[in-house]
Amino acid sequence: MSAPELYLLERAGREGSETLSVYHGSGGYKALEKVLKTPLTQAEVISEVREAGLRGRGGAGFPTGLKWSFMPDHEKDSRKRYMVVNADESEPGTCKDRVLMREDPHGLIEGCLIAAFAMRIDAVYIYVRGEYRKPYNRLQAAIDEARAAGLVGDAIMGSEFSCEIHMHKGAGAYICGEETGLMESLEGKRGHPRPKPPFPAGVGLWGQPTTVNNVESIFNVPFIIDRGATWFARLGSEESRGNFLCGISGHVERPGVYEVPLGTPAREILEDYAGGIWKGRSLKAWFPGGSSTGLLPPDLIDTPMEHDSIKAIGSMFGTGAMIILDETACTVRASEVLARFYDHESCGQCSQCREGTEWLHQIFRRIEEGGGSMEDIANLERLAMGMAPGKTICALADAAAIPTLAVIKHFKNELVAHVEQGCCPLKANTARAQEVRV
Amino acid sequence: MTRIRLNGKEIDADKDRPLIAAALANGVDVPHYCYHSGLTPVGSCRMCQVEVTEGERPARVVAACRTPVSEGMQVETQTPAAQAARRECLEFLLKNHPLDCAICDKAGECQLQDYTYAEGQSEGLSAEPRRKLDKRRSLGEVILLDQERCILCSRCVRFFEEVEGQAQLTIAGRGANSTIQTFAGRDLSGNYQGNVADLCPVGALTLKSFRFQARVWNLTKRASTCGECSRGCAISVEVLRQGQVKRIRPRYEALVNRWWMCDTGRFAFEGATLSGRLEGAQLRGYSGLEDCSTSEALAAVATGFAVHTNHVFIASPWLTVEEGRDLVELAQAVGAVLRMVSPEESGLADKILNTGDPCPNRRGLADVGIESASAPECLQLCTGAETATLVGERVVNLVGREALSEHDGKSRLFVFDTQALDAARVAVQVGVASWVERSGTWVNADGHESPIAAARSAPAGVCGTQGLLDDLRALVATCAPGSVSR
Repeated sequence: MSAPELYLLERAGREGSETLSVYHGSGGYKALEKVLKTPLTQAEVISEVREAGLRGRGGAGFPTGLKWSFMPDHEKDSRKRYMVVNADESEPGTCKDRVLMREDPHGLIEGCLIAAFAMRIDAVYIYVRGEYRKPYNRLQAAIDEARAAGLVGDAIMGSEFSCEIHMHKGAGAYICGEETGLMESLEGKRGHPRPKPPFPAGVGLWGQPTTVNNVESIFNVPFIIDRGATWFARLGSEESRGNFLCGISGHVERPGVYEVPLGTPAREILEDYAGGIWKGRSLKAWFPGGSSTGLLPPDLIDTPMEHDSIKAIGSMFGTGAMIILDETACTVRASEVLARFYDHESCGQCSQCREGTEWLHQIFRRIEEGGGSMEDIANLERLAMGMAPGKTICALADAAAIPTLAVIKHFKNELVAHVEQGCCPLKANTARAQEVRV
Repeated sequence: MTRIRLNGKEIDADKDRPLIAAALANGVDVPHYCYHSGLTPVGSCRMCQVEVTEGERPARVVAACRTPVSEGMQVETQTPAAQAARRECLEFLLKNHPLDCAICDKAGECQLQDYTYAEGQSEGLSAEPRRKLDKRRSLGEVILLDQERCILCSRCVRFFEEVEGQAQLTIAGRGANSTIQTFAGRDLSGNYQGNVADLCPVGALTLKSFRFQARVWNLTKRASTCGECSRGCAISVEVLRQGQVKRIRPRYEALVNRWWMCDTGRFAFEGATLSGRLEGAQLRGYSGLEDCSTSEALAAVATGFAVHTNHVFIASPWLTVEEGRDLVELAQAVGAVLRMVSPEESGLADKILNTGDPCPNRRGLADVGIESASAPECLQLCTGAETATLVGERVVNLVGREALSEHDGKSRLFVFDTQALDAARVAVQVGVASWVERSGTWVNADGHESPIAAARSAPAGVCGTQGLLDDLRALVATCAPGSVSR
């Protein structure tokens, strides 16, 4: 394993990494200083981020600079505008933003300020997942510290740029991580995603132009400004640049959050970073980027972890959170657990999602418990096709349908085995094994 | 205006309104539940899926209620992909629907039923037990909620938020556990609750007053106008076989009430089928009021006009413009003072529809030259004259039933009302048809003319006011003053 250049987790884990002094000591707020003191223009900042080719780290992989450029021209549209940082990290398997906020909150603050400057925004809202108490507290303390040092609030670093950063705590709904659901929640309403169009850049938070970015996307920004777009573009793969935080979990020796260049083969992450499958077992299935991305079989484990390659094999890069299942895991049971999650988290607006997520859960549970029929397997596919893609307001229905279709595509044998044996074959094996032992 | 192509036909579409509005305006029915022209589109039921092609982009299936129209857009509502998308949507909507159409008041006018027949499949895929929820939850005096039938389109929620102006309903719970609820379990309030029963595309919100009263396909519907205030909302009067008015519902009228009406008007039919109707005519004889034929009664009235002087006519605000015009001519022929009795404000005025003025045709009667007078003024006129003729439904009540009974003036009363007046001074009385039994025109407070139509026939022996007035005028012409001896 060659040692790649690391920057995202440079400070993480150091003594006092969450404090302003340590952040300053390791070159913190240099990028903001460069922006404000040079001074760079708004357009220069945006074009730097565009040239760097930074893609959003929240799941969709949309180019961040391009998203910023969708904000209306301030000369033609003088409305108040907002920036929202999506820190409602709730995708099963994903825990990367937590590390950033807990270990390096000033990095996020600096990124927010640069992004806000680029889009002429003077109010940033950071929507933090409710369960993230320590990250929330550390981020809040860091904002207070930065404000005391004249880095947040009015006339930042003595310039004409003023920006306030507000924190908001979520209340535990997965759907509030969807950007429009998040904005509804931030406005004090039920977290019901809004239909698009209109897009947030036109009609967002409180009806004003708004940009919503993921924590990790914003965290990359100071590095791009400080070290330059060409430096950034050297990292990662051609189409997906930079490093990303890979939260790898499941049946591995060393689960955790690792900084990995985009384009690193999944096998390398699994074996070199996470120490391979635990207990010397073999790989059965893996999710490339969180529970909403399709389950993949072992023979695709050499695929580079970056947006386009993963898309090409019929899944999604998502949040880059790999979930590894070893040979003893049942993919039907895994699907049942996920279906239960989406059933529980569907907001209930769209017919297909409200009824469909519950329905998928019911069928998976029945198959796993041994009461399923071949008709059930056919119905799973029909339902998933009826729910996605793009048939509902937001992507939650897709998120429930994609893993369902993937399990039918790659692991249909296991579904059929459940139906034919009238029980979970893996559980049956265990039971039989116990019998033999007795 | 934007040109788009809809099912192969070029049409003009309003660029500020969603695609579905253009389709509906051009007579193309796109199945829908959550969309309603009078409410903000939310795009949640996903039923209105159609296939759209824009420029070089490949055709895609979109929800028509949340898709803006764009120049040159090609829209097809009946492609296999669009039909399949809607069929799948119905599959999900019906998964937990109780399918109790046989006992559902909405059956026959239920959009879930209609679109399932039109686009759904005869057998569902679901093998799961259906969700069990509250089937009869009272939401106050007007509305009953059946949570099992609800498809969570949120029309009712938006109605209270957007039209009535105060949120009273909400969706509680999440995902498959969502239900419609009032805040803190309070009853619904206000004068517009009944509208949510019309808005509900399924049988979830129903009127308590209509519960198990009639199958809707047995109702005869007549377009008419509400008579409870001077707004004159366009309504449909719905009558069951035997002639009982079972329901009044608003009709869309862009210039007046759009889709809505108030509960005062909606439940006025309970008064329209009133008991104690004056059927036929009565004439005072030696032993009090005696039944007689209408022609005898009218002859007596005409005679009264001829032998007495100093006449007063009091018109009911429910008279039509046509009746008003006849009454003016008659008053001129007789030389009578004519006034419309003007009741006090109802106190029901609001910012939505109800004007608080209970006279549906004040403007129309004023236009034909009938001045208004308050009830005490009318009473004074009546008692001061030699003959007082009260014409039209509710006129006795408006002038004052008790005051008219007790008055000890010398005037003779000629009463043409729906209900009898049992008073010593009544010389003649004739039963007349109510506003659901006659036709004509009313003019609302803003000068908008609207028709009232006979939704059912009047009880036997009861005549239309206009016919009576015509006959009376003919008689008056033949009985010149002085030609009949006292």
